[in-house]
Amino acid sequence: MTDIAAAPPSTVGTASHWLKKHAFSSLPASIATVLFFALLLYIAYLVFDWAVIGAVWSAENADQCPTAHGACWSVIDARYRLILFGLYPYDLHWRSTLACVAIVLTVILSCIPLFWSLKRLALLWVVGFGAYYLLMEGGPIGLQEVTTDQWGGLSLTLFLFSSVVLIGMPMGLGLALARRSKLPAISYGVSILIDFIRSLPLLTTLFTAAVVVPILLPDWLHGDKIWRVIIAFALFFACYQAEVFRGGFQAIPRGQFEAGQALGLHFWQILGRIVLPQVFRHSLPGTINMVVVTFKETAIVIIIGFFEILASANAAFGTGEWAPYYIEVYVFVGLIYWIFIFSLSQYGEYLKRRMSVAKR
Amino acid sequence: MPDPQANAVEIRNMHKYYGAFHALKNIELTVKSGERIVICGPSGSGKSTMIRCINRLEEHQAGTITVLGTELTDDVHNIDEIRREVGMVFQHFNLFPHMTVLENCTLAPMLVRKASQREAEAEAMGFLEKVKIPDQALKYPGQLSGGQQQRVAIARALCMRPEIMLFDEPTSALDPEMIAEVLDVMVNLAQEGMTMLCVTHEMGFARSVADRVIFMDQGEIVEEGPPGAFFDNPQNERTKLFLSQILGH
Repeated sequence: MTDIAAAPPSTVGTASHWLKKHAFSSLPASIATVLFFALLLYIAYLVFDWAVIGAVWSAENADQCPTAHGACWSVIDARYRLILFGLYPYDLHWRSTLACVAIVLTVILSCIPLFWSLKRLALLWVVGFGAYYLLMEGGPIGLQEVTTDQWGGLSLTLFLFSSVVLIGMPMGLGLALARRSKLPAISYGVSILIDFIRSLPLLTTLFTAAVVVPILLPDWLHGDKIWRVIIAFALFFACYQAEVFRGGFQAIPRGQFEAGQALGLHFWQILGRIVLPQVFRHSLPGTINMVVVTFKETAIVIIIGFFEILASANAAFGTGEWAPYYIEVYVFVGLIYWIFIFSLSQYGEYLKRRMSVAKR
Repeated sequence: MPDPQANAVEIRNMHKYYGAFHALKNIELTVKSGERIVICGPSGSGKSTMIRCINRLEEHQAGTITVLGTELTDDVHNIDEIRREVGMVFQHFNLFPHMTVLENCTLAPMLVRKASQREAEAEAMGFLEKVKIPDQALKYPGQLSGGQQQRVAIARALCMRPEIMLFDEPTSALDPEMIAEVLDVMVNLAQEGMTMLCVTHEMGFARSVADRVIFMDQGEIVEEGPPGAFFDNPQNERTKLFLSQILGH
C-alpha cells in the first residue's frame, strides 16, 4: 500500500478547480463571467472582421476600398516605402535598408554579453555607425550624396534612437560621477545643470538646439542640424539617466569601496571592477525604462522638421486618394513601434534575470 | 620595499579627529613582527578607527604611523605599498556580490600584483582550502552562509600574501553557531606566525591566542598586557568594569 498522505495533492483538474473557485463560485459570479467573456469574444470578432475578413489587401484592388467594410491594407502596400524611408530618394532605398540593418545589427550585437568589453563595444559601434553614416550619406564612398534633410522614416528613427542612447549613456554616467565629486565646484555645477535640463520640456531643448543655437553661434560652430538635435537629445537623456545611476550608486555600501582599497586597488580599478558593475545592476530597471521612453520620444523631432517614421506615416495618407485610411497607417506604424519596444523590454527582462543569478 | 628588521607597526603620539570630535588621543603602540594583538573595549572607544588608520581607510591628523618601516603620509606611493602588505577582514565581510568566490580572491592579485589568471587561481584555491571551503569556489557570496562568507573574506585578504592582517570585529555579525569556524581559521593563522591585530569581543580567542591584549576607552589606550595578567589582574577601574560586563554572564 502506498502512503496516501505522503503523496503530493493531485494536479489533475487544477484548471477546472481554478475556474470553479474564481469564475463560477456563485450565480452572480457565473453570470458576470459569462457576460464578460461574451463581450470579449464579440470585440475580438469585430477586430478580426475589420482586420482580416473584410479587408482589402493589395494596392491593385484599391478601388474596392470605399465599399469594403474592413480595413484597406492597400494603403500600406502602396505607401510602405514612404513610411519606411521618408523623403530618401526612391532609387536609393536599398542604401537606407542596408543602413537600417547595420544599426539593428549593431544594437543586437551590443546586447550580447560576448561583446561586453570596452574594446569590442567601441569597435562595434565605430563600424556599425560608420556603416550607417556612409550608406545614408554616400558622398565619402563615392555614392550619390544624400544630405541629412532627406533622411527619413524608420532608418532616421533608429538612427536618432541609437545615437541618443549611445551618446547619452556614457554622458549620464559621467554626470552621475561628477555629481558625486568631492570638489564642490564640480558637484554643484553638475547638480545645477542636471536640474536645469530636467526642468525643461524635451521640446524646448530640441527647439533650442535646432533653431536658437544657429542664431546665437557663429556659422562654423553650427554643425549639421541633425547632430545638434542628437547632442541636445542626448544631453536630455543623460540628465535623467544620471539620476537613475545616482540611485544605483546610493545602493552600494561604503564597505565595497573600502574592501577594494584594503586590497590595494586604485580608485579607477575599484570603480571599474567593483562599483560600476553593481551600479549597472541596481539601475537596470530604471535604465530599461529610460531607453524605452526614449525610443517613443524620438517622434517629437517632427516638430523641428525631421521626417521620422511618424511624420512619413502622416505623409503616407496625406494625398486625397488615401486620406480616409489613416487608421490602417497608424496600426502599421504602431506595430513597428511595438516590435522594437517589446523586443527591448524583453531583452531587459533577460538582463534582469541574468544579473540576479549573479547575485545569489 | 618592507624592511625585515623593522617593527610591523609603530604608532607614535597619534591623534585622530572627526571635525571637532577627538576620536583617538595620543595613541602609542608598537607591534613586533609575528605578534598577535587583541584590541577590546566598549563600542565607540576608537578600536576600529585605530586599526583602520593603519591601512589608511581613516586618516590621522597628528603623530606618525609606520608600517614595516614605511611611514604613512599623504604620499600615494607609500599608501599603496602599505596596503599591499596589510590585509583586512571586515565585520560585514564586504565580499563583492557580483563575483564568484574565486573571482573575489583573484581580483587583487591580478590587478595589483599582476599575477596571471592561472597563478592567481591556483594560489586562491590553496587559500580556500586553508579556510576549508574549496568546494564553494564557483558560488557567489550570496549563496554562502555568514561564516563561509567571512572565511572567503579571510582567504581573499591572504591571497595578497600580506605581512600583517587586521581583523575588524570579524565575528560580530555572525550567528553564534558560525563563530567557531571563523575563529578556528584565525587560530590556525596565528599559529603560522602571521602578525595580527584583531578587534574582537571573543575573550576566549584573546586568552588562547593573543600575545598582548589592549583595552581602549574613549579614544585612549587605557591598559595593555599579556592575556593572563590582563584578564586575571586588571589594573585600571575602567578595564575592570568592562571585563565584569562582558565576562559577567
